[in-house]
Amino acid sequence: MTDIVVKTVEELKDAPAEYREAVSKLVISHAINELYGAQVFDEPAIAYAPTPYAKWLTCRVAMEEYGHHVRFKQLGVQMGIPEERMVPGAGKKPLSIFAFPLKTWEEFVAIKLLADLAEILQVEDLLHCTFHPLRNLARATMPEERFHAQFGEDFSAELVKTPEGKARLQAAVNEYYPYLPSFFGGSKSKNNEIFRKWKIKQRTNDEMRQDYVRRATEVAAKYGLTLPEIRQAA
Amino acid sequence: MNGVVDLPGQRLETLRAEVRAASWFAALGEPLTEGDCVDAAAYSAALGLGTIEIGQARDWPDAECLLKSPDWTPAWWDREEALRRALLAEAEAHYPERALWSSLTELTTEAGDLVHGKAATAAARMGRAAAASIHVAAGAASQAVYHLALARLAEQPASPFESKFRLYSAGRWPLGILGSRLVLF
Repeated sequence: MTDIVVKTVEELKDAPAEYREAVSKLVISHAINELYGAQVFDEPAIAYAPTPYAKWLTCRVAMEEYGHHVRFKQLGVQMGIPEERMVPGAGKKPLSIFAFPLKTWEEFVAIKLLADLAEILQVEDLLHCTFHPLRNLARATMPEERFHAQFGEDFSAELVKTPEGKARLQAAVNEYYPYLPSFFGGSKSKNNEIFRKWKIKQRTNDEMRQDYVRRATEVAAKYGLTLPEIRQAA
Repeated sequence: MNGVVDLPGQRLETLRAEVRAASWFAALGEPLTEGDCVDAAAYSAALGLGTIEIGQARDWPDAECLLKSPDWTPAWWDREEALRRALLAEAEAHYPERALWSSLTELTTEAGDLVHGKAATAAARMGRAAAASIHVAAGAASQAVYHLALARLAEQPASPFESKFRLYSAGRWPLGILGSRLVLF
């Protein structure tokens, strides 16, 4: 392990190149994925929401996800990252889950229930980050991410009240869940090794993945749902 | 449109000031004023819904019940959505895509944080609001800001989004058309 604490963006200029590059990669990744999520899932879901209450709640969720992108992008700009590297189309490959455009309200509820849980784990891992501007951003983001996961739980509870609703939600879980464990990256990720070396992140990808599978299984079981077989991580 | 292309962020500065000055959710539960009824009628007429009865939600549980009702009338939502798409297309034709998108996202992010706090204050003052309803109110209000931004960028002063924003600005929350009534909170 290498001990370093970077309290401000200004101090980052004096940090080792490997540290600066690692922090930049994380900020770019979060900025892009928050934006993809908002564009591919949250904003389209407004049309599928069944009542004005659900529509405006989804509006708020979408705006918060866009807001996360804005905040990560603002941090990136302060760090000197060009804006075009923090928006889709900049060469960074999006997560595979974003390749499946939303088709139903039940799919959105399943995504909030399970994909936002994966986001919570990613943000949790940054709560003790040695780069404090990123740590502080993670702390600001966390309550909203928890609310989004709770949104998934609340509407799951509504849907499972009827056999038809439960079947549709289970079908959505079956479709999306297999893609989620790979969200945590490869078992032998060089990036993750560097993140942990500098204590930017705390856990290995496999540790996070195992924790995610355990927590996802628990939350699904609360609503009488089961999780399908998962694919092996790359 | 006047044909002059400037950055949308500069054009939205006036709206940003209006958002900061608005009395978000301050009049919830208070008796409707003549001005509220005039703005509600203007909104309904501009949306092409004609003359419609104005109703009122008494408190947060009443508003939540109305908003969750399966009997809601989607016509007003669909008309707003059609109008939003048309205004967005007009704005996209007039402004550079990334500058437009960034300006709207930054405006709604800033407005969202502001109205969320105002909704939480109103809910705490009145009591009996479900925690999620504060998010619903903030979603509705920030959507109204986004809608009005599009109308302003498209230079549409007669847009229903102007009268809807005036209702929010006066401390009301227009809950939409439920049954045969336009319901305000």
